[in-house]
Amino acid sequence: ISTEVPPSCSNGCEHCSEYNGCLKCRPRLFILLERNDIRQIGICLAACPVGYYGIRNRDMNKCTQCKIENCEACFSRNFCTKCKEGLYSHRGRCFSSCPEGFTVNGTMEC
Amino acid sequence: LCVGGQAAAAGEGQSTPATCSPLCRCDEDGGADCSGRGLTSVPTGLSAFTYYLDISMNNITELPANVFRNLPYLEELRLAGNDLAFIHPEALSGLHQLKVLMLQNNQLKTVPSAALKNLNALQSLRLDANHITSVPEDSFEGLQQLRHLWLDDNSLTEVPISPLQHQSNLQALTLALNRITHIPDNAFANLSSLVVLHLHNNRIQEIGKNCFNGLDNLETLDLNFNNLKIFPEAIQMLPKLKELGFHSNNIASIPEGAFCRNSLLRTIHLFDNPLSFVGTTAFQNLSDLHSLMLRGASMMQDFPSLTGTINLESLTLTGTKIRSIPADLCEDLTVLRTVDLSYNDIEDLPSFQGCVRLQDINLQHNQIKQIDRGTFQGMTSLRVLDLSRNQIKFIHRDAFLSLSALTNLDLSLNSLASVPTAGLSALNQLKLTGNMELRNGLMSKTLPKLRSITVPYAYQCCAFVAYDSAVNPAEDDERRNAFGGEEDMERIPMVMHCSPLPGAFKPCEHLLGSWM
Repeated sequence: ISTEVPPSCSNGCEHCSEYNGCLKCRPRLFILLERNDIRQIGICLAACPVGYYGIRNRDMNKCTQCKIENCEACFSRNFCTKCKEGLYSHRGRCFSSCPEGFTVNGTMEC
Repeated sequence: LCVGGQAAAAGEGQSTPATCSPLCRCDEDGGADCSGRGLTSVPTGLSAFTYYLDISMNNITELPANVFRNLPYLEELRLAGNDLAFIHPEALSGLHQLKVLMLQNNQLKTVPSAALKNLNALQSLRLDANHITSVPEDSFEGLQQLRHLWLDDNSLTEVPISPLQHQSNLQALTLALNRITHIPDNAFANLSSLVVLHLHNNRIQEIGKNCFNGLDNLETLDLNFNNLKIFPEAIQMLPKLKELGFHSNNIASIPEGAFCRNSLLRTIHLFDNPLSFVGTTAFQNLSDLHSLMLRGASMMQDFPSLTGTINLESLTLTGTKIRSIPADLCEDLTVLRTVDLSYNDIEDLPSFQGCVRLQDINLQHNQIKQIDRGTFQGMTSLRVLDLSRNQIKFIHRDAFLSLSALTNLDLSLNSLASVPTAGLSALNQLKLTGNMELRNGLMSKTLPKLRSITVPYAYQCCAFVAYDSAVNPAEDDERRNAFGGEEDMERIPMVMHCSPLPGAFKPCEHLLGSWM
């Protein structure tokens, strides 16, 4: 959806731009870069949306895409906290069946 | 999305079951989104079957007792980004199915341990970005299902050892961005299921030799951005470690056998440390390691042994006093793709023949004097070779014979008098600046793909002057005569860039005959 009207900035924004939404969020909030046509729009959030996780650092907190296979929510780049429906989680990864030597417990975990 | 139903006061004998609050957007699956609406209290009138409630980014300063009593099926509660400073001990009572509780970005000064007590199903607890200075002993008591805990970006000055000691199911923990200064022995002794531990951006100066005891399943340890002065030998107690970071610390040396008990390591981030010494056996037998980057270990004199580190794809070792490369380097590193050994004191090169997948070699700024016939033999994948800023006087005429994929060759700032071009059929960038002994013209026809060349003397660019095919026939004959009338005059490739250009006087046209 391309919007001609410059996007207003979400609350929590410290430095708003007409073309790209928020450029700098208030301390401790995460910035999420959403694509809007060819533009990237900055949005400030206290929690990253589904499919993203927050990386906190001294100078910037950022929502980063969770790229673990079959994972819906990440703790970090290589640890999944919630696997897709029907899959089993084991040490931060998602499996269609438990690795050898492990069995399923009640909460879809190996 | 269903439209807000009649907003009945939660729990006050409403006649018709409430479906949503007018302050929220609810969906048919039991999700309610009341985020970012300037609310100062938890909305009422939500369906008893609500399983997901998002009240983040509002202005709620406290949670009174029993405020969620009518939401027994709640599984995920998002309260991030409010101004919560107080949570009544009974505020979360009744939430026996709650799995995810998000309290990040609030004003809490301590862990609301009383309120958390009976959340027996809780798996993920976010307390990051508050102002927590203390973690009461009983903070996580009763949370037997806790798997993921965020305590980063708070004001903790020490690891909450006793509150964590019963969390044997905990798998991911971040204590990053706090003010922790040391890690005592056995700090995480019972966390046998922990897989990820983030401690970056603290003030950790020293850690006990046994501080990671008990972390039998830890795979990721992040100690970046701390003040460690000594290599964290405690990592030797982490047999499952795959990813280790301790970049941006004050570590001066990496001891011999540093990672000898971490054979599963894939990634080690250690840049931005004032390294001056690296034990030669430090990086042996790391068969899962893909990349090794060591910069500026200025006192290092011996090339580290990489035997057994057979899956290394990228090796960067710069700014040392290393003078030679082991002759058997490529025996182990058969999958190496890029190697950067610039800014060392290397004099002699071994044969890189075994490194058949090498694509990029950077040997800039060493003390190499010659290139032998076998140095780059068989390297049909090599694309970029930087030998600039050495003392190379001699290159064997067959040295580049097998470099059929080489596109970039930098020989600038050496002592070359001639340059072999046999084998360089794919070359499109060649740098020869600064070889002041290199006076003769270069044969452009052996470099058919050349598009950019830098040469020591401007006249040498004449051989590479762009030949404009649109020029009229008369001029074409004149140019052919200038080349001695060769019938099948070799078409001078269109060189996009040659420097230094001959300049305003265009000596190529006047003096062309006398050189070519």
